[in-house]
Amino acid sequence: MKKTAPLEFENHFPLSQEDILKILNFSLSKGGDFSEIFLEYKTYNFINMEEDIIKETAESISLGLGIRVLSGEKTGYGYTNDISLEKVRKAALTAASIASTPGDRNASSLTPSSFPHNYYPVRESLHKASLENKISLVQECYRSAQNLDPKIKKVKVSFIDLTQHVRIVNSEGLDISDVRPLVKLVCLAIAEKTSKREAGYSGGGGRVGLEYFTQSLSPEEIGQDAAHEALELLEAEWPPAGEMPVILAPGHSGVLIHEAVGHLLEADFNRKKTSIFWNKMGKKVADSQVSIYDDPTIPHFRGSYNIDDEGTLPKKVLLIHQGKLTGLLQDRLSARLMKKSCTGHGRRQDYTNIPIPRMSNTYVDKGEYTPEEIIKSVKKGFYAHKYQGGQVEDSGKFTFSVSSGYLIEDGKLTSPVKQATLIGTNIDILNKIEMIGSDLQFGLQTGTCGKEGQSMPVNDGCPTLKITRMTVGGQS
Amino acid sequence: MKDKGQVKLFKLAEDLVNFGKNQGADEIEVSILDGYEFSVDVRFGKIENLVEAGSRALGMRVIKDKKTAFSSSSDLSRNTLEHLVKNAIKRTSFASPDEFSGLPSPSSRHTDIPSLTLFDPTISKLSSKKKIACAVETERIALDDKRITNSHGASLETKEIKTVFANSNGFLQEYDQTVCGLSLGLQAGDTDNRVEDYWFSIKRHYKELESPEEVAKKAVERTIRQINPKKIKTQKVPVIFEPMMTTWLMGFLFSCVSGISIYQKTSFLVDKLGEKIGNNSVNVIDDGLLPGMLGSRPFDAEGVPCKKTPVIEDGILKNYLCNTYAARKLKLKSTGNSAGTGVNPNNFYLKAGDIPPDRIISSLDRGLILIRTIGHGLNPVTGDISRGAFGLWVEKGEIAYPVSEITISGNLGEILNNIEVIGNDLDFQSPISGPTIRIQELTVAGE
Repeated sequence: MKKTAPLEFENHFPLSQEDILKILNFSLSKGGDFSEIFLEYKTYNFINMEEDIIKETAESISLGLGIRVLSGEKTGYGYTNDISLEKVRKAALTAASIASTPGDRNASSLTPSSFPHNYYPVRESLHKASLENKISLVQECYRSAQNLDPKIKKVKVSFIDLTQHVRIVNSEGLDISDVRPLVKLVCLAIAEKTSKREAGYSGGGGRVGLEYFTQSLSPEEIGQDAAHEALELLEAEWPPAGEMPVILAPGHSGVLIHEAVGHLLEADFNRKKTSIFWNKMGKKVADSQVSIYDDPTIPHFRGSYNIDDEGTLPKKVLLIHQGKLTGLLQDRLSARLMKKSCTGHGRRQDYTNIPIPRMSNTYVDKGEYTPEEIIKSVKKGFYAHKYQGGQVEDSGKFTFSVSSGYLIEDGKLTSPVKQATLIGTNIDILNKIEMIGSDLQFGLQTGTCGKEGQSMPVNDGCPTLKITRMTVGGQS
Repeated sequence: MKDKGQVKLFKLAEDLVNFGKNQGADEIEVSILDGYEFSVDVRFGKIENLVEAGSRALGMRVIKDKKTAFSSSSDLSRNTLEHLVKNAIKRTSFASPDEFSGLPSPSSRHTDIPSLTLFDPTISKLSSKKKIACAVETERIALDDKRITNSHGASLETKEIKTVFANSNGFLQEYDQTVCGLSLGLQAGDTDNRVEDYWFSIKRHYKELESPEEVAKKAVERTIRQINPKKIKTQKVPVIFEPMMTTWLMGFLFSCVSGISIYQKTSFLVDKLGEKIGNNSVNVIDDGLLPGMLGSRPFDAEGVPCKKTPVIEDGILKNYLCNTYAARKLKLKSTGNSAGTGVNPNNFYLKAGDIPPDRIISSLDRGLILIRTIGHGLNPVTGDISRGAFGLWVEKGEIAYPVSEITISGNLGEILNNIEVIGNDLDFQSPISGPTIRIQELTVAGE
């Protein structure tokens, strides 16, 4: 074995093209319809600053491959991070065991292929940037939060950059690779006044290079934004409780669309008829102003990818068109079983996981009203600004935790409000979207979505949205 | 375990510690996990996914001149690992000196590993066929109930994990553990009026796992009791927490008594040690040494032997749960709760009372039984809680109807003072657990 630093992707997989073809065929020996190998090498760097010092740095390497065999509706999966031929064959055998008829399928050759696009063109790679350079980003962010106001008592900043190399080969002859950068700089600021203590959060990043932090969003802005939120929450009141008109802020409120609508348009839930949308294709499910997209091809976005984790070229999908349900997010398995074309939304957290339909960057298209008009139209209501997160059930029932918002009184935003909860049922709320703003924005590039135990980077967005009535939970 | 590489892993950990010392680290620790997992998901009687795999991961911490660096790798080749050790030592120079950093001092305590009964040797002998049949059977029993209209499927999962841990203070130990779980998710009602829920059983020993009948019965019961929910008006009422809900509340309490949140001042329980924070009936314990329980382990992630720690005793806050770093920050002792840079619970639970849960319900004149929450909405800095919820409405001691589209809100500090009744049904279903409880009053927001 060569004595080299762990850098080059190929060096980690001492498997020849011939070995790979053999493994693909071996995994079809029990009669599966399709076999695939997902090879992954991921490096990860982490910096953490708190209590005014760089507390620690971390470096992580993840290496492994997963072998999948499809047989009808069944999936067999084996994975290993010991890349000896013996262990790889064992993983293949595990995957193969899902099928039980004599096999006649064969992969005869692999055709290395590439793609013309690059959704993450990066000038200064963060993977190659020096640790000193990254540390100075962290320090700038930290100081700008800390120095904003003496009431800021504590700041925590973390920086994470990762580079994921993937190669996907399958029994249809596909052989395709991608290298995906992903960066995030996040800041938590805590403000104190008398006995009150509140936290603010902000961040940025995406599939970007070092230049992002000078050209798009500076570490200072991130720090100040977090500190501002914490300071404002010190003055915040508890939200009113009950049903009322609700305005969703542009950008951050995209998470609501992601949770309440996006998940239930993932093909697997519709194929299994567990989603409330499964029997509503072509039908009206939202107010006719509403159009919703999922687009994995937006340059530099956290949820974007050149190829999905099954090697499919991704497509922008129109999920809801002027209120009518028009599309689903398809991976290979669901597309085949539903006799639809694959949209390139098969994603997986890493080589230990089976790919499943996932969102990428999901958003509500812009409408015709100015945000001022929308706010002016509400006499008494709630304005949801930032969120801690949300969750939805297949039945369409959802919950969102609003970390900061405002009261709306006589068409104006008045007192800041903390810790509210929004609940509802998706189709009901989609039909109660009364006004859509012209101000489409996207959320912080820091979001991660969980499904079946797998975490994926995503982004979401929306313009200002007015919901006629919605249940707000609070204490008063 | 499936691999005969055990001796090799022991040696690898020891060698890397020595390599680190030789390369100039003041202190170094290495942990290796060697896991083997099997899982099968079945839906409508057919296998959907079958996964079987072994994998290893190594983590290390290096300290030089009171500066810390971490590394981890799933590539266990010596080349890569030695490169990572050298890199980590180099990276320590970029961190700031921190007087609180460093490995724990060697402990005189020693856990008798076999007495914890963390490993079930029968799990590796279970055939795939038997495991698949168990999942299929669980779902089949549930689907026999015609009120069930769709299935998320049943899953059976087993894991065997070896943990090897070595550090430059001479610590070198390993232990094996097993976990097995059976779960089932169901839906009832038609497409536009769906309700759903699930049930699961997770144990270290296969023979203790709930039977397919039990899991199916509970999943069905939990799902159908939510059919035809009503909305209710916003009001303040007494609320009963089912054990899974108390567990959720205890999870939030754990994050608020974590030594990390305390020294970072991100908990409402900062500076409250020795103070009364709950009523007299509240006793919360963290115990890493309960035989056979999911949260038990001989030593924590930095080699500190686990123990039993009273957290709240008769309503008085007794201890924060600390790793070595948080303990040094707070001038306390590690409680054996390290999860590396963080802390995690061993068996963290609210001590059971003596009232059976059905009596807690029958003695409630009017109020809500909290059965599920969704969403986030927990703020450890203030203790504030605001979550979407599902419940059962109680009138005159009896369940009247299910309710949905509500949120509950309150404050953990207030809830600890308002626990009126504690049930006798503590089941240790997860590392964090608690029995049924009744809270005097919470805000339930509805229409």
